Amino acid sequence: MKSSLLETKSLTVRFGGLTALKEVTLECREGEILGIIGPNGAGKTTLINVVSGIYFPNGGQIVFDGKDITKLPAHMRCRAGIGRTFQTIQLVKELSASENIMVGCLFGRGLGLREARRKTQELCELLQLPRPERYLAQLTMLEIKKVELARALAMTPKLLFLDEVMAGLSINETRAMIDLVREIGSRGVTICAIEHVMMVIKDLTERVVVLDGGQIIATGPYEHVCNDPGVIDAYLGKEE
Amino acid sequence: MKHLKSALLIAILAAAICFPLYTGTYLHHTAANILIYTTLALSWDMLLRSGQISFGMSGFCGIGSYAAVMVCLNLGISPLLSIVLAGLVAGLVATLLGFAVLHLRGMYFAVVTLAVAEIFRVIVANLSVTGGTMGKLLPGAIFGGNSYGIYWLMLGILLLTIGLSELFERSRIRFALTSIRNNEIVARSTGIDIFKYLVFTFALASAIQGMVGAASAQINGFVMPESSFSLNFALLPLAMALFGGVLSTPGPVIGGVLLGIIDQVLREQIPYGHLLVYGIVLVVVVLFMPNGIVRAARVQIQRIRIQRIRPTS
Repeated sequence: MKSSLLETKSLTVRFGGLTALKEVTLECREGEILGIIGPNGAGKTTLINVVSGIYFPNGGQIVFDGKDITKLPAHMRCRAGIGRTFQTIQLVKELSASENIMVGCLFGRGLGLREARRKTQELCELLQLPRPERYLAQLTMLEIKKVELARALAMTPKLLFLDEVMAGLSINETRAMIDLVREIGSRGVTICAIEHVMMVIKDLTERVVVLDGGQIIATGPYEHVCNDPGVIDAYLGKEE
Repeated sequence: MKHLKSALLIAILAAAICFPLYTGTYLHHTAANILIYTTLALSWDMLLRSGQISFGMSGFCGIGSYAAVMVCLNLGISPLLSIVLAGLVAGLVATLLGFAVLHLRGMYFAVVTLAVAEIFRVIVANLSVTGGTMGKLLPGAIFGGNSYGIYWLMLGILLLTIGLSELFERSRIRFALTSIRNNEIVARSTGIDIFKYLVFTFALASAIQGMVGAASAQINGFVMPESSFSLNFALLPLAMALFGGVLSTPGPVIGGVLLGIIDQVLREQIPYGHLLVYGIVLVVVVLFMPNGIVRAARVQIQRIRIQRIRPTS
Protein backbone atom coordinates (compact mmCIF):
# COMPACT_ATOMS: atom_id res chain seq x y z
CA MET A 1 0.00 0.00 0.00
CA LYS A 2 1.46 3.34 -1.05
CA SER A 3 1.68 6.04 1.62
CA SER A 4 -0.54 9.10 1.44
CA LEU A 5 0.93 12.30 -0.07
CA LEU A 6 -2.15 14.52 0.10
CA GLU A 7 -5.12 14.24 2.40
CA THR A 8 -8.07 16.57 2.60
CA LYS A 9 -10.21 16.13 5.67
CA SER A 10 -13.81 17.42 5.62
CA LEU A 11 -12.81 20.28 3.32
CA THR A 12 -15.54 22.88 2.92
CA VAL A 13 -15.44 25.98 0.69
CA ARG A 14 -18.25 28.50 0.46
CA PHE A 15 -18.64 31.48 -1.88
CA GLY A 16 -21.31 33.53 -0.15
CA GLY A 17 -24.43 31.36 -0.14
CA LEU A 18 -22.95 28.77 -2.53
CA THR A 19 -21.18 25.75 -1.07
CA ALA A 20 -18.56 24.81 -3.70
CA LEU A 21 -17.05 21.97 -1.66
CA LYS A 22 -18.91 20.21 1.14
CA GLU A 23 -16.84 18.17 3.60
CA VAL A 24 -14.62 16.64 0.91
CA THR A 25 -12.34 13.96 2.30
CA LEU A 26 -9.94 12.41 -0.18
CA GLU A 27 -6.50 10.94 -0.33
CA CYS A 28 -3.87 11.01 -3.05
CA ARG A 29 -1.20 8.34 -2.65
CA GLU A 30 2.45 8.78 -3.42
CA GLY A 31 3.32 7.95 -7.04
CA GLU A 32 -0.24 7.36 -8.26
CA ILE A 33 -2.13 9.06 -11.08
CA LEU A 34 -5.50 10.08 -9.68
CA GLY A 35 -8.34 11.23 -11.91
CA ILE A 36 -10.97 13.73 -10.82
CA ILE A 37 -14.15 13.88 -12.88
CA GLY A 38 -17.56 15.41 -12.53
CA PRO A 39 -20.02 17.71 -14.29
CA ASN A 40 -19.37 21.44 -14.70
CA GLY A 41 -19.70 23.22 -11.38
CA ALA A 42 -18.99 20.05 -9.40
CA GLY A 43 -16.09 21.74 -7.57
CA LYS A 44 -13.12 20.13 -9.34
CA THR A 45 -11.18 23.34 -10.04
CA THR A 46 -12.19 24.73 -6.63
CA LEU A 47 -10.59 21.66 -5.08
CA ILE A 48 -7.31 22.38 -6.92
CA ASN A 49 -7.52 26.06 -6.03
CA VAL A 50 -8.01 25.34 -2.35
CA VAL A 51 -5.24 22.72 -2.19
CA SER A 52 -2.82 24.98 -4.09
CA GLY A 53 -3.65 27.88 -1.76
CA ILE A 54 -5.56 30.22 -4.06
CA TYR A 55 -8.56 29.97 -1.72
CA PHE A 56 -8.56 29.19 1.96
CA PRO A 57 -11.18 26.68 3.11
CA ASN A 58 -14.06 27.60 5.39
CA GLY A 59 -13.60 24.31 7.20
CA GLY A 60 -11.51 21.17 7.19
CA GLN A 61 -7.83 20.41 6.92
CA ILE A 62 -5.25 19.82 4.18
CA VAL A 63 -2.29 17.59 4.97
CA PHE A 64 0.51 17.40 2.41
CA ASP A 65 3.56 15.21 2.84
CA GLY A 66 2.68 14.73 6.51
CA LYS A 67 2.38 18.46 7.24
CA ASP A 68 -0.72 20.56 7.83
CA ILE A 69 -0.69 23.18 5.05
CA THR A 70 -4.23 24.50 5.54
CA LYS A 71 -3.02 28.00 6.45
CA LEU A 72 0.09 28.10 4.27
CA PRO A 73 0.07 30.81 1.52
CA ALA A 74 0.06 29.71 -2.14
CA HIS A 75 3.72 30.49 -2.88
CA MET A 76 4.82 28.43 0.15
CA ARG A 77 2.68 25.48 -0.94
CA CYS A 78 4.29 25.69 -4.36
CA ARG A 79 7.74 25.59 -2.78
CA ALA A 80 6.60 22.69 -0.58
CA GLY A 81 6.03 20.67 -3.76
CA ILE A 82 2.54 21.36 -5.13
CA GLY A 83 2.62 22.28 -8.84
CA ARG A 84 -0.30 22.94 -11.14
CA THR A 85 -1.47 23.86 -14.60
CA PHE A 86 -4.52 25.99 -15.32
CA GLN A 87 -7.82 25.26 -17.05
CA THR A 88 -7.43 28.28 -19.34
CA ILE A 89 -4.04 29.24 -20.78
CA GLN A 90 -2.20 31.30 -18.19
CA LEU A 91 1.19 32.01 -19.71
CA VAL A 92 2.78 35.44 -19.48
CA LYS A 93 2.50 36.79 -23.01
CA GLU A 94 5.32 39.31 -22.54
CA LEU A 95 7.73 36.46 -21.81
CA SER A 96 8.99 33.85 -24.27
CA ALA A 97 8.22 30.14 -23.82
CA SER A 98 11.60 29.50 -22.17
CA GLU A 99 11.22 32.54 -19.90
CA ASN A 100 7.78 31.29 -18.80
CA ILE A 101 9.37 28.00 -17.83
CA MET A 102 12.20 29.86 -16.08
CA VAL A 103 9.66 31.52 -13.77
CA GLY A 104 8.95 28.07 -12.30
CA CYS A 105 12.68 27.33 -11.87
CA LEU A 106 13.45 30.73 -10.31
CA PHE A 107 10.65 30.98 -7.79
CA GLY A 108 9.15 27.53 -7.37
CA ARG A 109 12.53 25.90 -7.01
CA GLY A 110 14.66 28.87 -5.96
CA LEU A 111 17.36 28.48 -8.62
CA GLY A 112 19.66 31.25 -9.81
CA LEU A 113 19.37 32.67 -13.35
CA ARG A 114 22.13 30.55 -14.90
CA GLU A 115 20.95 27.31 -13.28
CA ALA A 116 17.34 28.13 -14.22
CA ARG A 117 18.35 28.53 -17.89
CA ARG A 118 20.07 25.14 -17.84
CA LYS A 119 17.10 23.44 -16.17
CA THR A 120 14.73 25.09 -18.68
CA GLN A 121 16.81 23.72 -21.54
CA GLU A 122 16.55 20.22 -20.03
CA LEU A 123 12.78 20.50 -19.67
CA CYS A 124 12.39 21.71 -23.27
CA GLU A 125 14.30 18.65 -24.42
CA LEU A 126 12.21 16.32 -22.22
CA LEU A 127 8.95 17.78 -23.53
CA GLN A 128 10.26 18.05 -27.10
CA LEU A 129 9.65 21.76 -27.32
CA PRO A 130 11.59 23.23 -30.26
CA ARG A 131 12.71 26.88 -30.42
CA PRO A 132 11.64 27.88 -26.88
CA GLU A 133 12.65 31.49 -27.54
CA ARG A 134 9.28 31.93 -29.30
CA TYR A 135 6.40 33.88 -27.75
CA LEU A 136 2.85 32.68 -26.98
CA ALA A 137 1.40 33.95 -30.28
CA GLN A 138 3.92 31.83 -32.22
CA LEU A 139 3.13 28.51 -30.48
CA THR A 140 0.64 25.76 -31.40
CA MET A 141 -1.95 24.63 -28.86
CA LEU A 142 0.06 21.50 -28.04
CA GLU A 143 3.20 23.59 -27.53
CA ILE A 144 1.32 26.02 -25.28
CA LYS A 145 0.09 23.09 -23.17
CA LYS A 146 3.64 21.76 -23.04
CA VAL A 147 4.97 25.12 -21.83
CA GLU A 148 2.33 25.18 -19.07
CA LEU A 149 3.31 21.67 -18.10
CA ALA A 150 7.03 22.52 -18.23
CA ARG A 151 6.51 25.56 -16.00
CA ALA A 152 4.78 23.35 -13.43
CA LEU A 153 7.51 20.70 -13.72
CA ALA A 154 10.19 23.36 -13.35
CA MET A 155 9.13 23.67 -9.71
CA THR A 156 10.05 19.99 -9.20
CA PRO A 157 6.66 19.18 -7.72
CA LYS A 158 5.94 16.11 -5.64
CA LEU A 159 2.26 16.51 -6.53
CA LEU A 160 1.19 17.86 -9.91
CA PHE A 161 -2.36 19.02 -10.58
CA LEU A 162 -3.37 18.97 -14.25
CA ASP A 163 -6.53 20.98 -14.83
CA GLU A 164 -8.00 19.82 -18.15
CA VAL A 165 -4.61 19.75 -19.79
CA MET A 166 -5.98 17.81 -22.78
CA ALA A 167 -8.73 20.34 -23.59
CA GLY A 168 -8.46 21.75 -27.11
CA LEU A 169 -6.07 19.07 -28.35
CA SER A 170 -6.68 16.81 -31.38
CA ILE A 171 -6.83 13.00 -30.92
CA ASN A 172 -3.18 12.58 -31.93
CA GLU A 173 -2.06 15.45 -29.73
CA THR A 174 -4.07 13.98 -26.84
CA ARG A 175 -2.32 10.61 -27.27
CA ALA A 176 1.06 12.36 -27.31
CA MET A 177 0.12 14.27 -24.15
CA ILE A 178 -1.06 11.07 -22.40
CA ASP A 179 2.34 9.48 -23.11
CA LEU A 180 4.05 12.56 -21.78
CA VAL A 181 2.02 12.61 -18.56
CA ARG A 182 2.66 8.89 -18.09
CA GLU A 183 6.41 9.54 -18.56
CA ILE A 184 6.26 12.27 -15.91
CA GLY A 185 4.41 9.92 -13.56
CA SER A 186 7.03 7.21 -14.12
CA ARG A 187 9.65 9.66 -12.82
CA GLY A 188 7.98 9.58 -9.40
CA VAL A 189 5.70 12.62 -9.64
CA THR A 190 2.26 12.06 -8.14
CA ILE A 191 -0.37 13.34 -10.57
CA CYS A 192 -3.90 14.48 -9.97
CA ALA A 193 -5.69 15.09 -13.28
CA ILE A 194 -9.04 16.77 -13.83
CA GLU A 195 -10.47 15.67 -17.17
CA HIS A 196 -13.67 15.55 -19.14
CA VAL A 197 -12.14 13.31 -21.83
CA MET A 198 -12.97 9.83 -20.52
CA MET A 199 -10.44 8.19 -22.84
CA VAL A 200 -7.72 10.06 -20.93
CA ILE A 201 -9.10 9.01 -17.55
CA LYS A 202 -9.33 5.39 -18.70
CA ASP A 203 -5.82 5.27 -20.22
CA LEU A 204 -4.02 7.30 -17.62
CA THR A 205 -5.43 7.00 -14.13
CA GLU A 206 -5.20 4.30 -11.52
CA ARG A 207 -8.03 5.62 -9.40
CA VAL A 208 -10.88 8.04 -10.04
CA VAL A 209 -12.73 10.40 -7.72
CA VAL A 210 -16.13 11.66 -8.88
CA LEU A 211 -17.39 14.99 -7.63
CA ASP A 212 -20.92 16.32 -7.94
CA GLY A 213 -22.37 19.38 -6.27
CA GLY A 214 -19.21 19.82 -4.19
CA GLN A 215 -19.36 16.30 -2.76
CA ILE A 216 -17.59 13.05 -3.56
CA ILE A 217 -20.13 10.60 -4.95
CA ALA A 218 -17.78 7.76 -5.92
CA THR A 219 -14.16 6.66 -5.63
CA GLY A 220 -12.34 3.71 -7.13
CA PRO A 221 -10.85 2.26 -10.32
CA TYR A 222 -12.21 3.50 -13.68
CA GLU A 223 -14.37 0.42 -14.36
CA HIS A 224 -15.88 0.60 -10.89
CA VAL A 225 -16.92 4.27 -11.04
CA CYS A 226 -18.15 3.95 -14.63
CA ASN A 227 -20.70 1.38 -13.56
CA ASP A 228 -21.75 3.28 -10.43
CA PRO A 229 -25.45 4.22 -10.84
CA GLY A 230 -24.88 7.52 -9.03
CA VAL A 231 -22.08 8.50 -11.44
CA ILE A 232 -24.09 7.45 -14.48
CA ASP A 233 -27.00 9.50 -13.25
CA ALA A 234 -24.98 12.61 -12.34
CA TYR A 235 -22.30 12.71 -15.03
CA LEU A 236 -21.93 9.94 -17.59
CA GLY A 237 -25.56 9.42 -18.60
CA LYS A 238 -27.20 6.22 -19.84
CA GLU A 239 -26.54 4.75 -23.29
CA GLU A 240 -29.64 4.69 -25.48
CA MET B 1 24.96 45.93 -34.45
CA LYS B 2 25.68 45.28 -30.77
CA HIS B 3 28.97 47.21 -31.03
CA LEU B 4 27.17 50.10 -32.74
CA LYS B 5 24.63 50.22 -29.92
CA SER B 6 27.36 50.19 -27.27
CA ALA B 7 29.30 52.92 -29.11
CA LEU B 8 26.14 55.04 -29.36
CA LEU B 9 25.42 54.63 -25.64
CA ILE B 10 29.01 55.60 -24.72
CA ALA B 11 28.78 58.66 -27.00
CA ILE B 12 25.48 59.75 -25.40
CA LEU B 13 26.93 59.24 -21.91
CA ALA B 14 30.07 61.23 -22.79
CA ALA B 15 27.95 64.03 -24.27
CA ALA B 16 25.74 64.09 -21.16
CA ILE B 17 28.76 64.29 -18.83
CA CYS B 18 30.48 66.98 -20.91
CA PHE B 19 27.27 68.98 -21.46
CA PRO B 20 28.10 71.71 -18.87
CA LEU B 21 31.53 72.27 -20.42
CA TYR B 22 30.09 73.76 -23.61
CA THR B 23 26.92 75.42 -22.28
CA GLY B 24 26.06 78.28 -19.93
CA THR B 25 24.63 78.49 -16.41
CA TYR B 26 21.03 78.91 -17.59
CA LEU B 27 21.18 75.67 -19.59
CA HIS B 28 22.87 73.88 -16.67
CA HIS B 29 19.91 74.68 -14.42
CA THR B 30 17.38 73.87 -17.15
CA ALA B 31 19.04 70.51 -17.82
CA ALA B 32 19.22 69.72 -14.08
CA ASN B 33 15.50 70.41 -13.84
CA ILE B 34 14.81 68.07 -16.77
CA LEU B 35 16.97 65.39 -15.10
CA ILE B 36 14.93 65.72 -11.88
CA TYR B 37 11.66 64.93 -13.68
CA THR B 38 13.25 62.25 -15.87
CA THR B 39 14.53 60.41 -12.77
CA LEU B 40 11.06 60.59 -11.25
CA ALA B 41 9.53 59.27 -14.49
CA LEU B 42 11.85 56.25 -14.45
CA SER B 43 11.24 55.54 -10.75
CA TRP B 44 7.47 55.69 -11.36
CA ASP B 45 7.87 53.23 -14.23
CA MET B 46 9.82 50.78 -12.03
CA LEU B 47 6.76 50.33 -9.81
CA LEU B 48 4.42 50.29 -12.81
CA ARG B 49 6.19 47.11 -14.00
CA SER B 50 4.41 45.28 -11.15
CA GLY B 51 1.07 46.65 -12.41
CA GLN B 52 0.72 49.19 -9.58
CA ILE B 53 0.11 52.85 -10.45
CA SER B 54 1.31 55.32 -7.84
CA PHE B 55 0.37 59.01 -7.58
CA GLY B 56 2.35 59.35 -4.38
CA MET B 57 5.59 60.66 -5.89
CA SER B 58 5.04 64.19 -4.61
CA GLY B 59 4.66 62.78 -1.08
CA PHE B 60 7.98 60.94 -1.15
CA CYS B 61 9.74 63.88 -2.83
CA GLY B 62 8.42 66.05 -0.01
CA ILE B 63 9.49 63.61 2.71
CA GLY B 64 12.94 63.40 1.13
CA SER B 65 13.33 67.16 0.87
CA TYR B 66 12.28 67.75 4.48
CA ALA B 67 14.41 64.86 5.77
CA ALA B 68 17.48 66.27 4.00
CA VAL B 69 16.95 69.80 5.28
CA MET B 70 16.16 68.68 8.84
CA VAL B 71 19.28 66.48 9.17
CA CYS B 72 21.43 69.24 7.66
CA LEU B 73 20.08 71.88 10.05
CA ASN B 74 19.92 69.73 13.20
CA LEU B 75 22.84 67.33 12.80
CA GLY B 76 25.09 69.46 10.64
CA ILE B 77 25.89 66.70 8.17
CA SER B 78 27.01 67.40 4.60
CA PRO B 79 24.35 68.10 1.92
CA LEU B 80 25.46 65.10 -0.16
CA LEU B 81 25.12 62.70 2.78
CA SER B 82 21.76 64.27 3.62
CA ILE B 83 20.49 63.29 0.15
CA VAL B 84 21.45 59.65 0.78
CA LEU B 85 19.85 59.71 4.24
CA ALA B 86 16.70 61.29 2.78
CA GLY B 87 16.46 58.39 0.34
CA LEU B 88 16.70 55.93 3.24
CA VAL B 89 14.01 57.81 5.19
CA ALA B 90 11.64 57.86 2.18
CA GLY B 91 12.34 54.17 1.57
CA LEU B 92 11.61 53.32 5.21
CA VAL B 93 8.35 55.30 5.20
CA ALA B 94 7.34 53.56 1.95
CA THR B 95 8.09 50.14 3.45
CA LEU B 96 5.87 50.83 6.47
CA LEU B 97 3.18 52.34 4.26
CA GLY B 98 3.52 49.44 1.81
CA PHE B 99 2.57 46.92 4.50
CA ALA B 100 -0.68 48.83 4.95
CA VAL B 101 -1.63 49.76 1.38
CA LEU B 102 -0.05 47.20 -0.93
CA HIS B 103 -2.98 44.85 -0.45
CA LEU B 104 -4.91 47.30 -2.62
CA ARG B 105 -4.84 47.09 -6.41
CA GLY B 106 -5.48 49.28 -9.44
CA MET B 107 -7.27 52.58 -8.93
CA TYR B 108 -7.73 51.91 -5.19
CA PHE B 109 -3.96 51.85 -4.68
CA ALA B 110 -3.49 54.87 -6.98
CA VAL B 111 -6.05 57.00 -5.11
CA VAL B 112 -4.67 55.97 -1.70
CA THR B 113 -1.12 57.00 -2.70
CA LEU B 114 -2.47 60.38 -3.88
CA ALA B 115 -4.29 60.81 -0.56
CA VAL B 116 -1.24 59.75 1.47
CA ALA B 117 0.91 62.34 -0.32
CA GLU B 118 -1.61 65.01 0.63
CA ILE B 119 -1.69 63.75 4.24
CA PHE B 120 2.13 64.05 4.39
CA ARG B 121 1.86 67.65 3.12
CA VAL B 122 -0.81 68.62 5.66
CA ILE B 123 1.17 67.06 8.54
CA VAL B 124 4.37 68.88 7.55
CA ALA B 125 2.50 72.18 7.08
CA ASN B 126 1.10 71.94 10.62
CA LEU B 127 4.22 70.98 12.54
CA SER B 128 6.30 73.69 14.17
CA VAL B 129 9.45 71.57 13.98
CA THR B 130 9.24 71.61 10.16
CA GLY B 131 8.60 75.35 10.05
CA GLY B 132 4.86 75.09 9.34
CA THR B 133 3.61 76.72 6.14
CA MET B 134 6.74 78.89 5.95
CA GLY B 135 9.05 75.88 5.72
CA LYS B 136 12.78 75.95 6.48
CA LEU B 137 15.71 77.79 4.99
CA LEU B 138 19.16 76.26 4.51
CA PRO B 139 22.29 78.40 5.05
CA GLY B 140 23.06 78.00 1.36
CA ALA B 141 22.45 75.95 -1.77
CA ILE B 142 24.45 72.77 -2.43
CA PHE B 143 27.94 73.31 -3.99
CA GLY B 144 27.43 77.01 -3.19
CA GLY B 145 24.95 77.14 -6.07
CA ASN B 146 27.59 76.06 -8.60
CA SER B 147 25.64 75.05 -11.72
CA TYR B 148 28.24 72.47 -12.84
CA GLY B 149 27.98 70.58 -9.55
CA ILE B 150 24.18 70.78 -9.56
CA TYR B 151 23.99 69.36 -13.09
CA TRP B 152 26.42 66.53 -12.35
CA LEU B 153 24.62 65.71 -9.09
CA MET B 154 21.31 65.25 -10.91
CA LEU B 155 22.98 63.34 -13.74
CA GLY B 156 24.54 61.04 -11.12
CA ILE B 157 21.15 60.34 -9.50
CA LEU B 158 19.62 59.64 -12.93
CA LEU B 159 22.48 57.28 -13.86
CA LEU B 160 22.06 55.48 -10.51
CA THR B 161 18.33 55.08 -11.25
CA ILE B 162 19.05 53.83 -14.79
CA GLY B 163 21.48 51.31 -13.28
CA LEU B 164 18.86 50.07 -10.81
CA SER B 165 16.21 49.92 -13.53
CA GLU B 166 18.50 47.83 -15.74
CA LEU B 167 19.32 45.60 -12.77
CA PHE B 168 15.57 45.01 -12.46
CA GLU B 169 15.42 44.11 -16.16
CA ARG B 170 18.33 41.66 -16.04
CA SER B 171 17.51 39.87 -12.77
CA ARG B 172 14.79 37.62 -11.36
CA ILE B 173 12.90 40.80 -10.34
CA ARG B 174 11.84 41.26 -13.98
CA PHE B 175 10.34 37.76 -14.05
CA ALA B 176 8.56 38.36 -10.74
CA LEU B 177 7.14 41.78 -11.64
CA THR B 178 6.05 40.73 -15.15
CA SER B 179 4.30 37.66 -13.72
CA ILE B 180 2.60 39.71 -10.99
CA ARG B 181 1.42 42.27 -13.57
CA ASN B 182 0.09 39.52 -15.82
CA ASN B 183 -1.84 37.38 -13.33
CA GLU B 184 -1.39 37.32 -9.57
CA ILE B 185 -3.02 33.92 -9.10
CA VAL B 186 -0.58 32.32 -11.54
CA ALA B 187 2.33 34.24 -9.98
CA ARG B 188 1.46 32.91 -6.51
CA SER B 189 1.06 29.39 -7.88
CA THR B 190 4.56 29.54 -9.37
CA GLY B 191 6.11 30.37 -6.01
CA ILE B 192 6.34 34.16 -6.22
CA ASP B 193 5.92 35.99 -2.93
CA ILE B 194 3.91 38.85 -4.42
CA PHE B 195 3.80 41.02 -1.32
CA LYS B 196 7.57 40.86 -0.81
CA TYR B 197 8.29 41.99 -4.38
CA LEU B 198 5.67 44.75 -4.26
CA VAL B 199 6.97 46.16 -0.97
CA PHE B 200 10.57 45.99 -2.18
CA THR B 201 9.81 47.75 -5.48
CA PHE B 202 7.61 50.38 -3.82
CA ALA B 203 10.31 51.09 -1.22
CA LEU B 204 13.09 51.34 -3.79
CA ALA B 205 11.10 53.62 -6.14
CA SER B 206 10.12 55.81 -3.17
CA ALA B 207 13.73 55.98 -1.95
CA ILE B 208 14.76 57.32 -5.38
CA GLN B 209 11.92 59.84 -5.23
CA GLY B 210 13.06 60.85 -1.74
CA MET B 211 16.61 61.41 -3.02
CA VAL B 212 15.32 63.51 -5.91
CA GLY B 213 13.22 65.60 -3.50
CA ALA B 214 16.24 66.02 -1.22
CA ALA B 215 18.48 67.07 -4.10
CA SER B 216 15.84 69.53 -5.26
CA ALA B 217 15.66 71.05 -1.75
CA GLN B 218 19.46 71.27 -1.54
CA ILE B 219 19.58 72.98 -4.96
CA ASN B 220 16.88 75.52 -4.02
CA GLY B 221 18.21 76.01 -0.47
CA PHE B 222 14.80 75.83 1.17
CA VAL B 223 11.73 73.65 1.76
CA MET B 224 8.08 74.70 1.82
CA PRO B 225 5.02 72.43 1.94
CA GLU B 226 3.53 73.88 -1.27
CA SER B 227 6.68 73.56 -3.40
CA SER B 228 8.22 70.43 -1.83
CA PHE B 229 4.99 68.43 -2.10
CA SER B 230 4.00 70.01 -5.44
CA LEU B 231 1.70 67.88 -7.59
CA ASN B 232 4.08 68.61 -10.49
CA PHE B 233 6.32 65.91 -8.98
CA ALA B 234 3.51 63.40 -9.52
CA LEU B 235 1.98 64.50 -12.82
CA LEU B 236 4.86 65.66 -15.05
CA PRO B 237 6.90 62.42 -14.68
CA LEU B 238 3.78 60.41 -15.47
CA ALA B 239 3.30 62.36 -18.71
CA MET B 240 6.99 61.90 -19.55
CA ALA B 241 6.86 58.12 -19.04
CA LEU B 242 3.71 57.82 -21.17
CA PHE B 243 5.27 60.04 -23.84
CA GLY B 244 8.39 57.89 -24.10
CA GLY B 245 6.74 54.53 -23.43
CA VAL B 246 6.30 52.61 -20.20
CA LEU B 247 7.67 49.29 -18.86
CA SER B 248 11.26 49.82 -19.98
CA THR B 249 14.31 51.92 -19.12
CA PRO B 250 14.71 53.83 -22.42
CA GLY B 251 11.03 54.89 -22.66
CA PRO B 252 10.75 57.10 -19.56
CA VAL B 253 14.34 58.41 -19.98
CA ILE B 254 13.94 59.43 -23.63
CA GLY B 255 10.37 60.64 -22.95
CA GLY B 256 11.58 62.71 -20.01
CA VAL B 257 14.43 64.37 -21.87
CA LEU B 258 12.40 65.05 -25.03
CA LEU B 259 9.34 66.37 -23.25
CA GLY B 260 11.61 68.49 -21.02
CA ILE B 261 13.28 70.01 -24.09
CA ILE B 262 9.92 70.56 -25.84
CA ASP B 263 8.61 72.31 -22.72
CA GLN B 264 11.67 74.57 -22.58
CA VAL B 265 11.58 75.46 -26.28
CA LEU B 266 7.85 76.20 -26.13
CA ARG B 267 8.34 78.40 -23.05
CA GLU B 268 10.85 80.51 -24.99
CA GLN B 269 8.96 80.59 -28.29
CA ILE B 270 5.38 80.96 -27.04
CA PRO B 271 5.64 82.46 -23.54
CA TYR B 272 1.87 82.83 -23.09
CA GLY B 273 0.65 79.70 -24.87
CA HIS B 274 3.31 77.09 -24.27
CA LEU B 275 1.16 74.97 -21.96
CA LEU B 276 -1.57 74.74 -24.62
CA VAL B 277 0.84 73.45 -27.28
CA TYR B 278 2.54 71.20 -24.70
CA GLY B 279 -0.85 69.65 -23.91
CA ILE B 280 -1.68 69.19 -27.59
CA VAL B 281 1.68 67.44 -28.21
CA LEU B 282 0.95 65.07 -25.30
CA VAL B 283 -2.57 64.27 -26.46
CA VAL B 284 -1.40 63.63 -30.05
CA VAL B 285 1.37 61.26 -28.91
CA VAL B 286 -0.89 59.32 -26.52
CA LEU B 287 -3.61 59.04 -29.21
CA PHE B 288 -1.43 58.02 -32.15
CA MET B 289 1.44 56.29 -30.34
CA PRO B 290 -0.20 54.68 -27.28
CA ASN B 291 2.94 52.64 -26.57
CA GLY B 292 5.11 55.77 -26.58
CA ILE B 293 7.54 57.21 -29.05
CA VAL B 294 10.36 54.75 -28.30
CA ARG B 295 8.30 51.71 -29.27
CA ALA B 296 6.80 53.55 -32.26
CA ALA B 297 10.32 54.36 -33.46
CA ARG B 298 11.40 50.72 -32.99
CA VAL B 299 8.44 49.50 -35.05
CA GLN B 300 9.30 51.97 -37.82
CA ILE B 301 12.96 50.88 -37.85
CA GLN B 302 11.89 47.22 -38.04
CA ARG B 303 9.56 48.00 -40.95
CA ILE B 304 12.35 49.73 -42.86
CA ARG B 305 14.65 46.74 -42.24
CA ILE B 306 12.04 44.25 -43.46
CA GLN B 307 11.41 46.37 -46.58
CA ARG B 308 15.15 46.36 -47.31
CA ILE B 309 15.38 42.56 -46.91
CA ARG B 310 12.32 41.81 -49.07
CA PRO B 311 13.18 41.39 -52.75
CA THR B 312 11.47 43.90 -55.03
CA SER B 313 8.81 42.38 -57.26
